[in-house]
Amino acid sequence: MSDSDASAPAEVAPAARASPRLGLLLLTLAGLGLVYVSPLVLDTYTVNVLTRSLLYATLALTLDVLWGYTGILSYGQSAFFAIGAYALGLSSTHVGFDYGVAAAALLCGVALAGAAGALAGWLAFGRGVTPLYVSVVTLVLPIVVKQSLLSGGLFTGSSSGLSGFDSFDIEVENWFRIGGVALVLLTASAWLFVNSDAGRVLVAIRENELRCRYLGIPTVTVKIGLMVVAAMIAAAAGYAYAGYTVVVSPELGGFEFGTEILIWVALGGRGTLLGPVVGALVIDLGSAYLGGSIPYVWKLFVALAFVLVIVLMPRGVAPLFGAVGRWIAGALLGRPMKETVEEAPRLIPTPPRPSQRASDGAPSVEVRDLRRHFGSLRVLDGIDFTAWPAELVSMVGPNGAGKTTLMRCIADGAERSSGRISINGHDTGHYPPERCVGFGLGRKFQTATIFDTLSVADCLRVARARHAAPSMHRRDPILALPQAALDVIRATGLDRMLGVEARHLSHGEKQALELAMVLALEPSLLLLDEPTAGLTKAERALIGQILMRLVSEHALCVLLVEHDLDFVREISSRVVVLHQGRIVLDGSVADVVGSELIRSIYAGAHG
Amino acid sequence: MLVSQTLDIVTTAAILYVVAAGLLIVFGVMKIINFAHGGFLTMGGYSALAVSDLGLNPVLSIPFSFAVGTVAGMAVERLVVRPLYSRPLDAILATWGLGIIIGQVITLIYDRGVHFVQSPISGAVLVLGEEYSKYRLVMVAVAIAFGGALALILHGTRLGLVTRAVIMNEDLARGLGIDSGLVRFVTFSLGSGLACLAGALITPLSSVDPSLGISWLVNVFMLVLVSGVSLFSLGVAAIVLGGAQVLISSYANPVYGSMAIVILAALLLRVRPRGFASE
Repeated sequence: MSDSDASAPAEVAPAARASPRLGLLLLTLAGLGLVYVSPLVLDTYTVNVLTRSLLYATLALTLDVLWGYTGILSYGQSAFFAIGAYALGLSSTHVGFDYGVAAAALLCGVALAGAAGALAGWLAFGRGVTPLYVSVVTLVLPIVVKQSLLSGGLFTGSSSGLSGFDSFDIEVENWFRIGGVALVLLTASAWLFVNSDAGRVLVAIRENELRCRYLGIPTVTVKIGLMVVAAMIAAAAGYAYAGYTVVVSPELGGFEFGTEILIWVALGGRGTLLGPVVGALVIDLGSAYLGGSIPYVWKLFVALAFVLVIVLMPRGVAPLFGAVGRWIAGALLGRPMKETVEEAPRLIPTPPRPSQRASDGAPSVEVRDLRRHFGSLRVLDGIDFTAWPAELVSMVGPNGAGKTTLMRCIADGAERSSGRISINGHDTGHYPPERCVGFGLGRKFQTATIFDTLSVADCLRVARARHAAPSMHRRDPILALPQAALDVIRATGLDRMLGVEARHLSHGEKQALELAMVLALEPSLLLLDEPTAGLTKAERALIGQILMRLVSEHALCVLLVEHDLDFVREISSRVVVLHQGRIVLDGSVADVVGSELIRSIYAGAHG
Repeated sequence: MLVSQTLDIVTTAAILYVVAAGLLIVFGVMKIINFAHGGFLTMGGYSALAVSDLGLNPVLSIPFSFAVGTVAGMAVERLVVRPLYSRPLDAILATWGLGIIIGQVITLIYDRGVHFVQSPISGAVLVLGEEYSKYRLVMVAVAIAFGGALALILHGTRLGLVTRAVIMNEDLARGLGIDSGLVRFVTFSLGSGLACLAGALITPLSSVDPSLGISWLVNVFMLVLVSGVSLFSLGVAAIVLGGAQVLISSYANPVYGSMAIVILAALLLRVRPRGFASE
């Protein structure tokens, strides 16, 4: 194994890698110190207000992980906050306050919020719904919560809410410290999480969810899980809010408050963690101080700033501060500071392991009487076809013959209208792509489908997530890939570009990266849709060699859609000709190339 | 009872249709949810208030509010919406912020108090032996006029033809030399004008205060989502969901009724993402 070339730059990695974590530790300690000292030096009013602001900032933090990192735009974090707040308010008002009741209320509130988050996620991330639908669900949730609280009569206190109930006997300074310590620790944990390998998976989901699902990542489960955790933290913050202020009102659960949280996050800078926290603190403190003297003007000012930031600075103001900070640091040090560059991990091969091929000699893919129609249009009309391990089957046929649709039906159980498909002996039923990947499927799309803002190494790491669960708190300095993926990376020179963001790659490099990502899945059935489209002659020859070696050495079954008949002739072990939704020819290369039929189909003479 | 309930359903649907029309055409053409729609509704309410404060004929509030909305829409399209064409989710946020700005500016000029506008048509009329509010019945005619006028523009004018081309395939339309930027500009201005006009038209039915628009916004947003981009299915959605609101309010409880539209629309979109749209 020629790891030596890759290991040289990685020698410096441990030291460089340690520094951001050291920085985080120092920042956390500084934050905790600040939390301890602040009540000693600030006046009571400010401490009072800031305590509330700290709880709001916690809310902003949860929304930033959802929206800034994972792309889930939620208007409904307020609903969970209200659930937590009313858990304490209701229990204390109607049952009476003691520590047992309060603890039970906290558990109930957090559990209920988690359940509401799961329900919202389950509704929001269903199959076939539009991306806008998340916004719909998260708008409806706070409306339901607020209206339910309003209609609760004496039980919830209706529009005036509940107040003056018994609560914890804790001084203001200590409420401040509780909120502050929680916020600092949560922010630090969130930083570790989003900067870990698992955090890359979140970004990958935001960038291209379909690709993630075809890498076998259960994206819906991941997103629902994230919603649940965010909801539970929001509920805990709401509970603390009720305990501290001893006032809860239905407005806490409304979507107006939900959008206010969005404003803090957007102004502070989504996807920066610290930005939203600071945004929430500054805006809430500002509204407490200025909201009294110039109430409408302050809100007007915040809304104006919000619109300006959305239009002109989509990443919020935090990157601006980052740039200014680097510029100042650069001026002090006398040399320009660059943004921290990602260190590339060291590549190693995974130990060879038995692939997921069925042991009983089942075919790699078996298609029986497959039909697919869109309304009255029959795209696939009774396809029967079987492919075995170590076969390289090319599918040819004119545009509209149904080649890509056939690929899609094999890869996604929900696609076909009728018929039966099994992969390595497993019936694909109506299973989504992530399940089909579990049966040994790997699919490369026609246009290179990768994660634009992730580095090459991170794209590959995300592709390995199914086999090697990514760490939730750190970056692994080692990236283990199966030999086939390593071969593609080394042959195309991608191993020297591991730290480069994928969007900077050339067209051919992107195609190669996607192929390597799919191979990282260790598939036994590989679907490739025009893998050579737009490639140079040299690149095409390279891909051809790689494919032939996968078939001969790793016994993969490769299904290929291809228009380039010369390429097909060179590499295929079998050729299938599709025409108007049916298989018209299925035979060896010699059979097909010499056939009169294929010439007439391509010439358009045949019906 | 049956007569008045039927009239309630029809007039509620008509009012929802009038309030939603502007949002629908903006969403249909531009694929952008204009959350400033609530702000424009509020602006329309205050336009009617201004006309009535000046002691002018209340009918004048119709052209006045439409003009105010159109001009405001022109400015908003140029300054805020245009840079966000490629970022539809950000456009929702920015227009929401804009709605807040409109609300705060109105609060600064007037105050947070509740105002009432004199209705040009008041009193009741006998319908099949039941007394019913004249103004609510007039709103049915207004809704039909809104739908008819928009359909006429879309299907009877050159601008409408061009607009339909942009709705179907904006890239192709641009390739054929259609100035899709102009279509978007006109659409947004018209949508804002209609929103303002709708805000003025509903003032005799509700009080005028800075949160006038917000209370309608989410309901009509849901209606637009379930109706696809069709003026006809918006009518169907308004009758079905508005009807559900009326029935649930009278047989169960008004609070459930107020949630009926959003909950039913959300569930409908879950099982049938295209909602009431036919294809």
